[in-house]
Amino acid sequence: MIELHRVSKVYSVGPVKVPALSDVSFRVGKGEFVTLCGPSGAGKTTLLRLLYREEIPTEGEIEVLRQDVTALTRSQVAALRRSIGIVFQDAKLLPGRTVYENVAFVLRVLGTPRREITGRVFDALRAVGLSARAQAYPPQLSQGEAQRAALARAVARKPLLLIADEPTGNLDEGMAAEVIEIVRDIWAGGTTVLFATHQATLAAALKQRTLSLQNGRLLKDEG
Amino acid sequence: MFGFLLGEALRDLRRAGRVAVSAIVLITLSLAALGAFWLLSSNLAEAVVQFRERVKIVVYLKREPSSGESRALVERVRALPGVAVVRYVGKAEALGTLKQVLGKDAAVADALPQNPLPASLEITPTAEGATLEGARALVMRLGALPETDEVGGGVEWMEQFAHGRRLLWLFGLGVGAVLAAAAILTVTTATTLVLHARRDEMEIMRLVGAPEHVVRLPLLLQGMMQGLLGAMLAIWLLVGCYAILGPRVEPLVRETLGLARLTFLRPHNVAFLMLAGTLLGGVGGILARGRAEP
Ligand SMILES: Nc1ncnc2c1ncn2[C@@H]1O[C@H](COP(=O)(O)OP(=O)(O)OP(=O)(O)O)[C@@H](O)[C@H]1O
Ligand SMILES: [Mg+2]
Repeated sequence: MIELHRVSKVYSVGPVKVPALSDVSFRVGKGEFVTLCGPSGAGKTTLLRLLYREEIPTEGEIEVLRQDVTALTRSQVAALRRSIGIVFQDAKLLPGRTVYENVAFVLRVLGTPRREITGRVFDALRAVGLSARAQAYPPQLSQGEAQRAALARAVARKPLLLIADEPTGNLDEGMAAEVIEIVRDIWAGGTTVLFATHQATLAAALKQRTLSLQNGRLLKDEG
Repeated sequence: MFGFLLGEALRDLRRAGRVAVSAIVLITLSLAALGAFWLLSSNLAEAVVQFRERVKIVVYLKREPSSGESRALVERVRALPGVAVVRYVGKAEALGTLKQVLGKDAAVADALPQNPLPASLEITPTAEGATLEGARALVMRLGALPETDEVGGGVEWMEQFAHGRRLLWLFGLGVGAVLAAAAILTVTTATTLVLHARRDEMEIMRLVGAPEHVVRLPLLLQGMMQGLLGAMLAIWLLVGCYAILGPRVEPLVRETLGLARLTFLRPHNVAFLMLAGTLLGGVGGILARGRAEP
């Protein structure tokens, strides 16, 4: 499903080079649940962005869904992304649209037939327990609700791979546990999950395979 | 899918609010200027045609030719370059016309011991002969005929005529310049506003793997709708101005240009304006697309 071979990423900010990942290699099989754990600035977001080709590695090879992501054309990148559901660290909900519209928007731009949309949006909202807030606008949502809305948007089109970048980031324990339960359900449905968090306790509680990142290096791969 | 994209474009238009309005206003103004210029210039062109028909050059003859001579003379003059129609006016006919003009004072003419009016040729120039240079050349050629006493008429008309056309030309240039500036401004404004309003949507679309045409089409459609709206407003504006100002200007127009009335733009001009507006807005959309490239 995912394979990284000696991947490094260095950001160039003008003349300054910022190393974000160094020599990272690992492999994730179909149907796995993998936690990506590391303190702030460890390189989690960078690693995930490499997977859906928002960034290009400075060195090394990356294969996602059997495709060499560095060699893709623009339309191939789009096709790859259609198979991946992403929960962004900053949620990226469109503020001028309701929760329902946010989820429907993605389905519509991907060409889902009109009559299927309502059903699929409500399925996704039910899965994250947000059907009652369908008509709310993102600024009216609590952080937990916003993360769940983002999750609903990511899974509404039934991706093969779910990439979740700190979906529990700013949540209290109870809310975080709720979100984790939802992600587990999605995983149980057959979706491969990559789940990033900076909370080591949360990673431990998940009791899944955990990749530990620190200063851009892969320290441990266990569980 | 198209309905959805159109909906997205409409939403952007609403959201862009004031800036969209100003873009539409700019398109309206530039197209209204274009339309107004067009209206004026087509009316002037109409006047030009009428001028030409009315311009006559008169050649006064030294003596009245016999009917055979006059026919030969007419043939000779008709063969000259720049001459469209030649009409021979004999002394008697000239006097008849004078009497008509004098009306109830015609008795004055009857009191004359003999007919003082010369025979003449009334010449209508061709299109080339009606230009300033053409008319001068023609007058020279006519003056050189052995039968000619004097050549009159025409040239003063020509001078005025050339002056009018120069004015029209300058006016056109000025309007064109203003128009170009307004259009460029419009497109730039539209570009920035569209990009700003759609940035989040475009990012999400790209991140979830929407096909490129889906990402871009709403921008283009929105631009085109702005342009079309601007064009429709411009046409309304022109119709309004025409209805209000037309009757007021017409007496003036009648006197200076000899036109009975101002004609409004023809349907194909109106269609062109709509198309031009849509294109103008579309260009804004395309430019926005260009800048949206990473
Ligand atoms: N676009 C960028 N340009 C330059 N440097 C960047 C960029 N994005 C990230 N970095 C740097 O790369 C390093 C890794 O950042 P990254 O966002 O991947 O960490 P993270 O593990 O996701 O952190 P957090 O838990 O705070 O989200 C950091 O030092 C960061 O400053
Ligand atoms: Mg991060």
